[in-house]
Amino acid sequence: MFAKLKKKIAEESAGAQRPGGAARIPRSVSKESVASMGADSGDDFASDGSSSREDLSSQLLRRNEQIRKLEARLSDYAEQVRNLQKIKEKLEIALEKHQDSSMRKFQEQNETFQANRAKMAEGLALALARKDQEWLEKMDHLEKEKRLLTAQLQEVKNQSLNLFQRRDEMDELKGFQQQEISKVKHMLLTKEESLGKMEQELEARTRELTRTQEELMTSHKMSSDLSQKLEELQRHYSTLEEQRDHVTASKAGAENKITALEQKEQELQAFIQQLSIDLQKVTAETQDKDRLITHLQEKVGSLEKRLELNLSGEEHLQELLKEKTLAEQNLEDTRQQLLAARSSQASAVGELESRVKDLELTLQASQEKLQQSRAIMAAQEAQIQELAAASQESSRMQQQALALEQQYAERTHALEAQITALEQARAADQTAAEHGMRELKQENAALKESRNECERSLQHHQFELKKLKEEWSQREIVSVAMAQALEEVRKQREEFQQQAAHLTALMDEKEQSLQEKTEELLQKEQDLLALEKGQESALLQLHQLQSELEALRSLRAEEAAAREDLLGLQGQEPRELRVSVKATQDPAYQLAATEGTPNGEVGAVELGQLQKEKQDLEQQLAEKNKTIKQMQQRMLELRKTLQKELKIRPDNELFDVREKPGPEMPTLAPSVTSNADLTDAREINFEYLKHVVLKFMSCRESEAFHLIKAVSVLLNFSQEEESMLKETLEYKVGFPPPGLPHPASPALQGPAAALPPLGCAQVMDLT
Amino acid sequence: MGGFFSSIFSSLFGTREMRILILGLDGAGKTTILYRLQVGEVVTTIPTIGFNVETVTYKNLKFQVWDLGGQTSIRPYWRCYYSNTDAVIYVVDSCDRDRIGISKSELVAMLEEEELRKAILVVFANKQDMEQAMTPSEMANSLGLPALKDRKWQIFKTSATKGTGLDEAMEWLVETLKSRQ
Repeated sequence: MFAKLKKKIAEESAGAQRPGGAARIPRSVSKESVASMGADSGDDFASDGSSSREDLSSQLLRRNEQIRKLEARLSDYAEQVRNLQKIKEKLEIALEKHQDSSMRKFQEQNETFQANRAKMAEGLALALARKDQEWLEKMDHLEKEKRLLTAQLQEVKNQSLNLFQRRDEMDELKGFQQQEISKVKHMLLTKEESLGKMEQELEARTRELTRTQEELMTSHKMSSDLSQKLEELQRHYSTLEEQRDHVTASKAGAENKITALEQKEQELQAFIQQLSIDLQKVTAETQDKDRLITHLQEKVGSLEKRLELNLSGEEHLQELLKEKTLAEQNLEDTRQQLLAARSSQASAVGELESRVKDLELTLQASQEKLQQSRAIMAAQEAQIQELAAASQESSRMQQQALALEQQYAERTHALEAQITALEQARAADQTAAEHGMRELKQENAALKESRNECERSLQHHQFELKKLKEEWSQREIVSVAMAQALEEVRKQREEFQQQAAHLTALMDEKEQSLQEKTEELLQKEQDLLALEKGQESALLQLHQLQSELEALRSLRAEEAAAREDLLGLQGQEPRELRVSVKATQDPAYQLAATEGTPNGEVGAVELGQLQKEKQDLEQQLAEKNKTIKQMQQRMLELRKTLQKELKIRPDNELFDVREKPGPEMPTLAPSVTSNADLTDAREINFEYLKHVVLKFMSCRESEAFHLIKAVSVLLNFSQEEESMLKETLEYKVGFPPPGLPHPASPALQGPAAALPPLGCAQVMDLT
Repeated sequence: MGGFFSSIFSSLFGTREMRILILGLDGAGKTTILYRLQVGEVVTTIPTIGFNVETVTYKNLKFQVWDLGGQTSIRPYWRCYYSNTDAVIYVVDSCDRDRIGISKSELVAMLEEEELRKAILVVFANKQDMEQAMTPSEMANSLGLPALKDRKWQIFKTSATKGTGLDEAMEWLVETLKSRQ
């Protein structure tokens, strides 16, 4: 509480000192150097222009005013210092109060802690004893339960083993059953297959049978046809036989005739032979007569020769011509007789010949008749022969038919026998199949029964199994629960043991801490003493600080004295400031150093407080450093602005140097040296310039108006150039856009009016 | 003469474009904030050498927002843009504990300018999405804001990349600008 207050006060004081003090310095500088300096310097230069002593006196007066201002500021500082002292006193009082209160609090806390500790120890011991007893009882109980549970567990395990065995047996039985069933099924299937085959065979046989029956029918038809033909042939045969009888009868008649005719012929031939014999006798008489004629002719010829030879002899030729006329009368008689014989013979021959001719005619007729009858006979014989052939063929055919009939009968017999055999076989097969079927059905039924039995037994077994499983699971659950309970009990026991151990450890710790606390107490008492010493040292430091403050004040005074010097000396001022800052820094360091030593001995609470204080101081130090940095930056900036303004100023000075070489001369040196920095800055900011000019040329008029100043600053436009730019822009737009900087604003107008027109050119020369 | 014209202009149209400067040290997120306000998107930015100027319309108010580069070398040129500024958005990197002092001194120097005497100050404690970000109150204290007198100011914690806090800040700015008129 007090620490906060203290911190706050310290902060406030620091804030009052730093932001006020640190910032005010540059502010004053800036105000006087930047804002007012332009005007002042303007005035100065204006007065320099006149270069009269009155002006000098007025300048002196102004300086005096400045000095007065500085003095007033100094008095402010003095007030601040007084405030600081007051604060310090307050802090001391607060510290004392805080110490008292902390002591009291500490003692109270210590007492309460001891009381609490005693109570805690007693309570814990009692609780421990009680818990131990309870737990021992519980442990006994649990061990008993555990024994029971293990026994149960073993029983359950045995049961489960039995169950497993039964299950295995069941599985085996099931396997056997399935095997048997499959066997029976296989047999059934094979039987059914054989049955199907038999039926197929039977069908094939019946088909054959029908075919053979058809064949039989056709053969019957053929045999009937043949028998009809046979009958016809027999009829024909009988007619033919009748014809033959008739023909044989006619043949016998013809033969009789032929024999009669042959007898006639023989008679005729005998007659012919007599005739021929007669003819031969006639011929032989004729031949003798022909020889007598020839002999008589020869005697007539020999007698005629002799008559010729006898003429002489003519009485012998007339006797020989009377003998010749007598022989010629005998010859003519004989010739008549012959002619007569011959005629009689010729008539007889004629007669005979006619008779032969008749006979021959009759013979011829009979021969013709015979020939005719013979032809008829031949035809009839041919017919008979044909008929005999036909009868033979018919008999052959009949024989063939008979053979065929016999064959057919045989075949039909055979087929019938086959059919009967097949039917018998089929019947036998059917009976066998039926028998097999019946057997199979019986087997099947038996198997089904056995299966049902098996299933029943299986179900029964399964049911048993389920029951057993349930029992088992229940037992398991129970056992698991028991095991869990056991584990929990064990855990609880362990926990309790741990708690007990923890409690004992706590007890030990507490005792140790008590001892430590007592030791600490002793130490703190010692520390308190040390702290008091430290306070004294702090007081001493405070005194030191005060002295330093005084030194600061003296520095201020020096600064004021420096102020009295010319403004050109401002370049030195930052350095002095820095020195002063360092001077202010040093005590802070010293503070930190001096306060660091007693800290080691101070007690915990006080130590913390002191550390806080130290931290505060460090923070202050850091802040101070920061403010120093800021001040340095600010200084740099100030320097820059100063240089800028100096840069402007030398223009004027160059103008006035001849007339007034007085106090303005030293300012030339820093301004010239600082121009080098400025060129660097310009090089760095060339990019910036480029950007701004580019934007200025490309952006809207309303924006361009705002950029005029930036452009004119960057390019070091004179006020006139700037205003010219502004006017041209205004002319372009017609009227200035809203938010345009007022051309008559005092900040811009003041120095511009005082600036000579050629200033810019002079700057360019300088750089 | 310009003043005369501007007064006529403002009396004629009643509302004029508000001129807002976004200032702050380099890398604080000024350009990101500007484009977040204008297009509502996070754009990839490069260090601004110079400035960016955009017209942002918010709640029927037109703002001419100038985002001036914050690098040390070009910081002195800020003062060229101060005239006729209605509000200053001062952006501070909440994670940059080292340079908050510099930021403070720049702020203080800026606020001392006569041209910004009437300008409203809105401080954006930016990069609040980072883990090591300082709290707004912490930053207000380290920037010395409570010590400001005769100045309407407010600090907002923002994250330009996440877009948080910008609306509230702009709301406040609009309300304050309206009430001032």
